[in-house]
Parts: sequence; structure tokens; C-alpha cells
Amino acid sequence: MMKKGVAVSGLLLGSLLSTHALAQTEGSEYYNDRYCMTCHGADGMGSEGIRGPRLAGMEPWYLKRQLENFRAGVRGTHEMDVPGTEMRPMAVPLTDESIADLLGWIGSWEYRPAEITLTNGDAAAGQPLYGTCATCHGADAQGNEALGAPALAGQNDWYLFAQLKNFKAGYRGTHADDTYGAQMVPMAAALADDTAILNVVSYINTLGR
Amino acid sequence: MTNPVSRREFMNLLGATFGTGALIRVGSALGMLPAVAALTRPVLAAPAPGAGTAVILGAGISGLTAAWELAKAGYDVTVLESSNRAGGRVMTVRSGDVVDEIGNRQVCEWDNEPHMYFNAGAARIPSTHRNLLSYCKELGVDLEVFINESKTALIQDDAMLDGKPIRNADVSTNVRGFLGELFAKSFTTAQLDQPFSESEAETIMGLIRQFGSLDREMNYKGSNRNGYVSGGFIDHGVQKEIIEFKHLMKSRLISQTLTANEGETGPLLMQPVGGMDRIIAGFTRALGDRVKYKTPVMSVMVKEAGVEVVYLQDGVPQPITADYCFNCIPAHFMAGIEHNLPGDYMQAMKYIRRGEAIKGAFQAKERFWEKEEIYGGISWTSAPIRQLWYPSHGIHKDKGVILAAYDFGNGGEFTRMSQAERVEWLLKGGEKLHSNYRQMVEKPITIAWHRMNHMLGCSARWGRSGGGMTMEEEGLYHTLQAPALGRHYMIGDQISFHGAWQESAILSAHWALADMDQRVRSAA
Repeated sequence: MMKKGVAVSGLLLGSLLSTHALAQTEGSEYYNDRYCMTCHGADGMGSEGIRGPRLAGMEPWYLKRQLENFRAGVRGTHEMDVPGTEMRPMAVPLTDESIADLLGWIGSWEYRPAEITLTNGDAAAGQPLYGTCATCHGADAQGNEALGAPALAGQNDWYLFAQLKNFKAGYRGTHADDTYGAQMVPMAAALADDTAILNVVSYINTLGR
Repeated sequence: MTNPVSRREFMNLLGATFGTGALIRVGSALGMLPAVAALTRPVLAAPAPGAGTAVILGAGISGLTAAWELAKAGYDVTVLESSNRAGGRVMTVRSGDVVDEIGNRQVCEWDNEPHMYFNAGAARIPSTHRNLLSYCKELGVDLEVFINESKTALIQDDAMLDGKPIRNADVSTNVRGFLGELFAKSFTTAQLDQPFSESEAETIMGLIRQFGSLDREMNYKGSNRNGYVSGGFIDHGVQKEIIEFKHLMKSRLISQTLTANEGETGPLLMQPVGGMDRIIAGFTRALGDRVKYKTPVMSVMVKEAGVEVVYLQDGVPQPITADYCFNCIPAHFMAGIEHNLPGDYMQAMKYIRRGEAIKGAFQAKERFWEKEEIYGGISWTSAPIRQLWYPSHGIHKDKGVILAAYDFGNGGEFTRMSQAERVEWLLKGGEKLHSNYRQMVEKPITIAWHRMNHMLGCSARWGRSGGGMTMEEEGLYHTLQAPALGRHYMIGDQISFHGAWQESAILSAHWALADMDQRVRSAA
């Protein structure tokens, strides 16, 4: 967990000061938008207590798209997606520069697979179900940038479970501008119930670690 | 006695009138009054040779308590605080302060005057909280009386009297009058489990008469207890009209007028002069450079030989090893910090839900409430702001800070609003009580503890059943209270039956220190 590329704050100070509209009162603290660890855990390891998923190792292109989606209201506006609605206000004040800063910062965190917490699923039963997922996310759940599909391996299993449920219920992927999310909706709909979702996530837990 | 009502019927009637809450008050933060806390300050043994270091995670009041007691006993203490300020939910907002809500950063622009502040978290110190009071004394924190109930403050309910606000005393006097008459008419010695003698019955009837301000025929015909409409000093007073109970009973808030001086708000309440964070300043002054700010904890590894902690300082990981670790980081954050705490610890931590309490405050351009004979105290409304608190301090100054909302249990809706929506919500609520409110207030501050940086929740919620902890929940609580490997202790009001009070946080630190001390002594 010791990270290396941490000495970026000084370099970016100049651009960061312009990233927030609020006035700085005299003597107030230097301020930036680097709030991620509060919810996403130390070095972005994920934090189940807050329902903040692992960011360490997440692809910069995927992070960028999601931050932009949250900022634009493409994600985090469905009232049933409670953690999403909690993420949205964090993204709204971000400028393109501060998103770039965050990507650089998050990119300095080393990939580390998340702890497995779902242990009561049937990975063998999940394997055939994963076949559909593999088309875009890859046989080893390593992701595919060309298809806009992020890696699933090593992500928090409780997060994957929650997002599949969200896609299935229409809490995510139903915004008119969520092009990639819209592709997920029918995929999640094909999973019959919570047990099927649990099984496919349990199978993903066996991949790429 | 005519028309007797059996006791059971009477209790049922009361229940129907006030809701079950009036009869059975369990587990609520205000309704419950724990026993006066014993002074539990541990007298710690000097550290064992080569085992004299302690690291405290979080500079909340429990962490500061542990740090101060350990420092006095001779331990080498380091306090790691992720924020740029100590105190956690003991937080006072005044001119120039930043309210570090994630996604809604606010800067306080109130006049820079000593009385222009607002306690965004802890705000009241009951006289029964002896341990907290003892630290105030030790650390030189000046206290003043906090006015919790003022009979001239207002009660307003859209369901009652067409939403017109009335004085607290108008409610309580008329409710007691009605109840007194009801008691008198239903009282017969035969219906009580314990028979009373004639003279005892007379005493009881006398009490009932006083309780309800009844006339000699035991009828309620109004009272001067809630003040006259006019006169009374140098000419005859004109008594107020009765407000009939059938109108008052439309509001659930009437119980507030009868119970404000019971439970945890029953003892004399106090506040530090100048803001609740004067207590925190007392601790940090005493601890000096032992407290490190902006040092978020990244990793906590409890080993046989000691506790290894990694924290960030200026973005660079720093290791520190200590013999003992006292941890008041909100439990919901621990899943996001690398650690090797036992699995049952994590199970307990994941069980706790994050509190959603909210508050709001405005700078009042003038102390308009004083023109309505309100000095301190709380007005209640059925609007979702629930409460307005008038400051006990700064009486007769030009301006004041009014607490514009306080919802302890259900702040979710407010939390999800934009700042503009929150402010409108505050104004709409305040207008119910004071028609000129919108013109009188400015410079809003909103506090949604669920979104505050470094906190993301108000007091931990253990019970999910609404009636205190279940046996299972109590089991989880004890799991989290117990030390890991005799070296790592979770502390804070989160490790108590009585969240949201500083005394609970202090007592949890004392419990942990006493446990550690007993281990140190038995090893010696």
C-alpha cells in the first residue's frame, strides 16, 4: 500500500487553485477536490462501510467517464441509487482540470484486488452466466477499453452485486445519455434473480487475482 | 365521583392522545436519562519499562481524553487527526470557518464577534455529565447556563389552530388543566391497586388540583400560569381564554411542552462560553504538539509486540509503532483502512449505521425573538426544521446566530438537497414560527453530518428495532468494545449505549484506559 507517485500536489497547486469557485478567506486552508479517500478508503482500496468502491487500479478512461457522468447527472440521479446520489454532489463542482488531477492522483495508487466478502455464492453456477459478460469485459474480467467495458476482476464484490441489481432494476443505465450503461441493462435483466447475480459475482471473484 | 374511568382506560386514553411514545420512552437520545455518571477518571499506573508509547487515531473528544490521561501518566502519546481541526462532531462555526461538507463546501461569513457562533454538533452539557464537567474544570473552560426551555417560546403545528404559533406556556397550561380535570374525575380509591386512606386521597386531590390549576370544584377554567392577556402589574390582569384540549391534541408537539425538563435535558444544561469547541481547545492546548493534523490513517496492524500504524503526512506515508492504540475513527471508515483487526470486529463495525442528524443556522440581522419576549429556549414546529434555538448568549447584542433546524434522527431528505434547496427549506420552516423570519435572517450555514468530510455520519446507530439494542446487537457492541490483542481499543460515543453525548465518548475512553491499566498492572 505504500505508494510512490505522491509528490504531485506541489506541481499541480497552480491549476488546482482555480478549480473551485468558492472564495478563499484569508488564512484559510489550501483546498482541492481530493476527497476520494474519505469514502473510497485508504489509497482507494474501497470502503464497504460507506459503499464506496475500490478505485485503485481502475482504468483512467473509465474513471473519467464515470466522473463526467456523475457531474452531468447521467449517474447518481436515480433516487433509488442511494450511494450514487451520495457520489453526485462530489462530482458536480469538479472542473475538467480537477478531474485530470484526480485521475493522476488515483493513478498513483497501486492495483490491489479487493477483499472477497461474498462467500455464500456458487461460482460454478455463475461461470456459464459469465459467458455473456465475457464478451465485453473479457474472459478474465480484465476489461476492454475499445468496448468501453471496465475490468471487473479485483473489484469489490459487494459493489458488483449492487450495480448488477441497479442495472436490473433500472436504477442505473436508464439515463438517455448513458450509452454504455444502457448496454448493461438487458445483460443484467438476463440474470434471473439475486441468486444468479450472487453466483456470477462469485465467479468473477475467482478471476484475475 | 361521577363517570369513573378505570386506570387501564385512562392509560389507553393517554396513549391515544400522546402516542405510545408518551408512555414508553425507550432508547431515544433525549428521553433516556442514564444514571449520573460516576467519576471514572482512571488513575493510570506509570508505563511499564519499554512499553510507554500510545498512538491515538482521531482527535475527537474520546481520543483527546485518552491522549490527555495517558500523557499525564507518562506515556509518549501521538494523536493522528485526518482533518485540519480537532474535535470531530464537537464543532463550533464562527466567522471565517470552513464547513467541510463534501460537495458543499461553505465558508461562514457571520460578523466576527465572540457571541456570533453556533455549535454544529454537541451543544448541551447536562449537570449530570460529571466527567465532561471535570475536564472543563481541569482545562479552564468557562461555562455558562444554556437555556433549553423557555415558556415564551413557540409551538406551531399545521394541524393545530390553523397553524398559528402559540406560546409554550399556552400549551402546557391548558394541557395540564385538561389532564388535571380528567385525573380528578377519574380518581377513586377503589380503582387503584393500592388503597388510599381518606386523608391520603385528599392529598392526592390537592396535588391534582395544583397540577392542573383547577378551581375548588376541580374544574379547569383557565389559569394565569401562562400569563395574562393584559395587565397584572399595576392594574388588574385579564386572564387568557382557555384553548380547548381538542384543538391542542391535534399536535404531537404538545408532549414537548411537558417533557423538556425531563430525561437528558432535565438537569441544568450548560455550554462553554464562546462555543463548545473551547473544550477541544482546552485539550489541544494541554496536549501541545502531540496532536498531528491532516494525517489520515492508512493502515492499522495490531501485532503481539505493538500496533503498527501508517499515516499520510504531506502525502507521504509515515510509519509509527506504539504499545497501545486508541481508535476513535468512525467505525464505518475502518473498512476503507488497511488493518488486521479480527473478523468479528469487522462484522460489528459493518453493522453500525451512520447517523443522519442535521442542523442549520443563520445570522439574524437583529435579535427579533427578544422583541417577542423570547430569550433563549427552543420553539417547536411541525415543519421539518422541527426546532429553532434562540441563543442563550449575547442577550441584547445587535445580532445573534439562530439555530435554524435540528433533526436528530431523520436528516436524509435535507442531506440530499442542494444548498439553495436547504436554505429555502430552512426559511419556510422558520416562517411558520416568525412571519418576518425571511427578512430577519441571512448568511445560512447548513450541517449535514452524513456528508461532512472525515466524518460521514452523526452518532453511530446500533439499534435497528427502534427500542434500544437487541441481544445480538449488544453482543456486537461488546465485541467492538473489547481490545484486540490487548493493544487496540475502539473508543468514542460509537462504543456506548448513549450516542451523541460527549460524556459517552469520555466514558468509553475511560473504560478502555482502565482495561489497559489493569493489563499493565497485572503484567508488572
